[in-house]
Amino acid sequence: MNYPVWEVPIIGGAWVIGIIAIFHVMISQFAVGGGLYLAMAERKALKEGHRDWLPVIKQHSKFFLLLTAIFGTVSGVGIWFAIGLVQPEATSTLIHNFVFGWAIEWVFFLIELTSAAVYYYTWDRIPEKLHLKVGWVYAISSVCTLVIINGILTFMLTPGSTWLGIVGSGHESAYFWNAFFNPTYWPSLFLRVLVCTSLAGVWALVSFSRLDEEAYGEARTRMVKWSATWLAPSFILTPVFFAWYILMVPQENKHLLELGMSTIGSGAFTQVTRLGLVSIITTATISGVVYFFAFKYPKDFTFGHAVSIVFLALCATASTEYAREAVRKPYVIGSHMYSNSVRVSEIPAFNKNGYLTTSMWRPNGLDATPVAVGQIVFRGQCMSCHTLDGYRSMRRFLADRDEKAIGNILKMLREHKEDSPYRAYMPPLVGSDEEVAALQAYLMSLKSAGTPQGLAMK
Amino acid sequence: MSESVNPEIQIESSDDDGVSRRQFVKVAVGGMCLAYLGAVGYPIYRYLESPVEKSETLAAIKNVDLNDAQKLPVGSVMMFKFGPYPALLIHHDNGDWSAFNAVCTHLGCTVQYHKDQDKIMCACHGGQYDPRTGQNIAGPPPKPLEKFAVKVNAASLTVSRA
Amino acid sequence: MSKIVDFMEERLPLTELAAFAKKKTVPLHRYAFWYYWGGISLLCFIVQVFTGILLLVYFKPGPDAYDSVRQITYDIHFGWLIRSAHAWSATLFLLSAFIHMFSVYFMKGYRKPRELGWWSGITLLLLGLLFGFSGYLLPMDELSFFATRVGLAIPDAIPVVGHAISNILRGGLEVSEITVQRFFALHVVVLPLLYLPIIGFHLYLVQLHGNALPPSEEEKPAIDRKSIAFFPNFVIKDLGMWLITLNVIALLASLFPQQLGKVADPLASAPAGIHPEWYFMSQFSTLKIVGKLIPGGLGEAAGITLFIVGLLLWILIPFYDVKKKGGLIAKRATYFGIFVVVVMLVTTILGYTAI
Repeated sequence: MNYPVWEVPIIGGAWVIGIIAIFHVMISQFAVGGGLYLAMAERKALKEGHRDWLPVIKQHSKFFLLLTAIFGTVSGVGIWFAIGLVQPEATSTLIHNFVFGWAIEWVFFLIELTSAAVYYYTWDRIPEKLHLKVGWVYAISSVCTLVIINGILTFMLTPGSTWLGIVGSGHESAYFWNAFFNPTYWPSLFLRVLVCTSLAGVWALVSFSRLDEEAYGEARTRMVKWSATWLAPSFILTPVFFAWYILMVPQENKHLLELGMSTIGSGAFTQVTRLGLVSIITTATISGVVYFFAFKYPKDFTFGHAVSIVFLALCATASTEYAREAVRKPYVIGSHMYSNSVRVSEIPAFNKNGYLTTSMWRPNGLDATPVAVGQIVFRGQCMSCHTLDGYRSMRRFLADRDEKAIGNILKMLREHKEDSPYRAYMPPLVGSDEEVAALQAYLMSLKSAGTPQGLAMK
Repeated sequence: MSESVNPEIQIESSDDDGVSRRQFVKVAVGGMCLAYLGAVGYPIYRYLESPVEKSETLAAIKNVDLNDAQKLPVGSVMMFKFGPYPALLIHHDNGDWSAFNAVCTHLGCTVQYHKDQDKIMCACHGGQYDPRTGQNIAGPPPKPLEKFAVKVNAASLTVSRA
Repeated sequence: MSKIVDFMEERLPLTELAAFAKKKTVPLHRYAFWYYWGGISLLCFIVQVFTGILLLVYFKPGPDAYDSVRQITYDIHFGWLIRSAHAWSATLFLLSAFIHMFSVYFMKGYRKPRELGWWSGITLLLLGLLFGFSGYLLPMDELSFFATRVGLAIPDAIPVVGHAISNILRGGLEVSEITVQRFFALHVVVLPLLYLPIIGFHLYLVQLHGNALPPSEEEKPAIDRKSIAFFPNFVIKDLGMWLITLNVIALLASLFPQQLGKVADPLASAPAGIHPEWYFMSQFSTLKIVGKLIPGGLGEAAGITLFIVGLLLWILIPFYDVKKKGGLIAKRATYFGIFVVVVMLVTTILGYTAI
């Protein structure tokens, strides 16, 4: 461990990424789907002569520009800050592999931002056909950003055997396309496009529900109804693409899903399965609610209805993204780097020479008490997922355990046997015997310093 | 925010999107029902079926080790569990062992060994079985009792499915 | 299909029902959102019935109570989910019933001819609280054991008959497996038997009198009032609300499953911060506060008298606030309602901060 560790109390660093990412996904996927929506709505209005739709679309494009250009971009930068601080090793690996990918994405992103502004500000100022073309430029460039970023996101789950075969050789960037078009690239791309179109419909409903009934009249009603149909394709096709996606996920990761099915109870082992359940049921509810409120009675559709749909969409996005992230466990980059930044290839050396031997954070001389060394090991290997008192609290976990029990579980994590249930979602504990003993000493010190919360809810 | 007024049943706009509307309805309602059925029905099914699964695993076992059962005195009998089923172990006077599934083949009562008559009897409807072969010899049982193989070990006794 | 409809039509007043449903309207105004809460609590109740039946498949009252709940939570597939859905829908049921009651109160929905609806509704809510109280003990873990012990302090404080009531509820001087057995009988037989006819009556009254209009709408001339058709417009929106509610229950049950503590041990000291469920917190903390002001048995009696008087006033409000143009009286009733809400919120918050 050579990068500094960012200690985030209560929620933990992972949730900092998570919270920003969930909002970013809600908005940036709308930016992609919404571009298609605007272009297709304008095309339909012009082609079929719904002149009264145009003011409604214009209003929507203002909402669209404000939401995506401000919150979408700011939250995107926020993700960069957050992943750089929380997962520096993994971020570095991604940059080394995909620097050109990201550069291209930013080109598309610039086109996207510019054309969004041009699109809004040239309403009624340039010929209609040209205006529609600007809309298509926006739509295509925003889809391109998804096409690029999807390669990087899916790479983290399934880097693919070619890349895994050459990693560490220094030639990683020569295998850019292998890493980019990795096994889950296509199913994930289609799934995300479907989510984008649904979100375009959902956010259009929000925007239209704010429009004054008197001023926009029939057009508002018709467009609410039309927006509702944007959720239909994802409802038919999602199961198909999802099945394809699951098929491409490596067996090792699917194990976590199966563990959640077969393990009984409600603890950490079943998290992915429980979130999957929420994801399925919420998706069904969304389509039901959109059907009842927006499609069936577009005239009565209110802002309150729209807010409840956004709330449901947020739940569905959050649980799906969380489940997707959780399936990748115990890795941050599939089969290459564990979620605590330990590379699979480094493990023998760490076990032989010690985890902290090459680290600049190793306490020296008189400062190197077992508790101090243990704390550094804890920061490096545990804190990417655990916090002291909040999310996945260590103190709560330690409350019922004595020194021997703690030793047992550390031993189990270090041995990392084939049949260990923790193997499915926790990295192995690495380091020399002294370091493991130091970690145990540090954990014991936590236990005595902390307040036991044996009864606290999980 | 002003709400719209709609005193009568809404008259559906019946023009261009009549077909797509019907399709949407079908897909949305059908898909939604399926998803709910899956997300609600599957847990309920697994919940109710849980013990079945467990007893199936139990029933699938091939043999049972009975510790210290070899010490059972001559002429006595012992009940034990073979998977989910009650079972009967008899140490005959001549030193032979026999073991049976103790579920009566008639209506599923648990049978007992009666030493005085040297018969396995079912108290429910008077079925009788031979204590060595398990053959149904009197009363309503349609089939013999399931017989298990018995193997005597040093410290235990292994009963296994034939 | 049409044959079945014909068969039914000849024997049941289906045509009348359909005509009624067609004619019925639901008012539409800025407070119309509050009309949904009765329906939401009804859905929560239905979920309770279904999950309750499922739990009944494995639950064993009496000495095995804890172990059977342990099996349901950790052993039986998805047992944790069923149990958590049951517990969370109980919380949502009481929450939505409270919201329903207060929204009816502030919309003056108890005025003639709706007094019976008001009283049956209060009865349903009180019985609902009893449902919650009796159900909470059934797992017999540490938390439910001590919370029940503490919670029985409330009836115990009733003057004269209090001890007898709490002893009868407990079936002894101490909470034990006998208590579980009788709470079980109460929870799954007695209360449902009482509940179902009252719910039927309550729903019948709603159909009979229709939705109450808030005073601000009453003032408007009839021609300015807006409304939507009950069927299908309102029903479909109600269904939409039901879907959302169902989803919220699923969400809470999956993400925050109900835990099971250690087995109840009457000899162990109560764990720190033991407190009743949130829906009893207000009463519990009021008793504590009054007890501090007036020490001893007198304080307890005073606290309980306060509840009874308050509840009586609450029940009798239709006799006080009668007139459509109530003026000062109507205002006072509203102030009383606000006072009650504030007191309940403050005492609940105080109760939680005192833990």
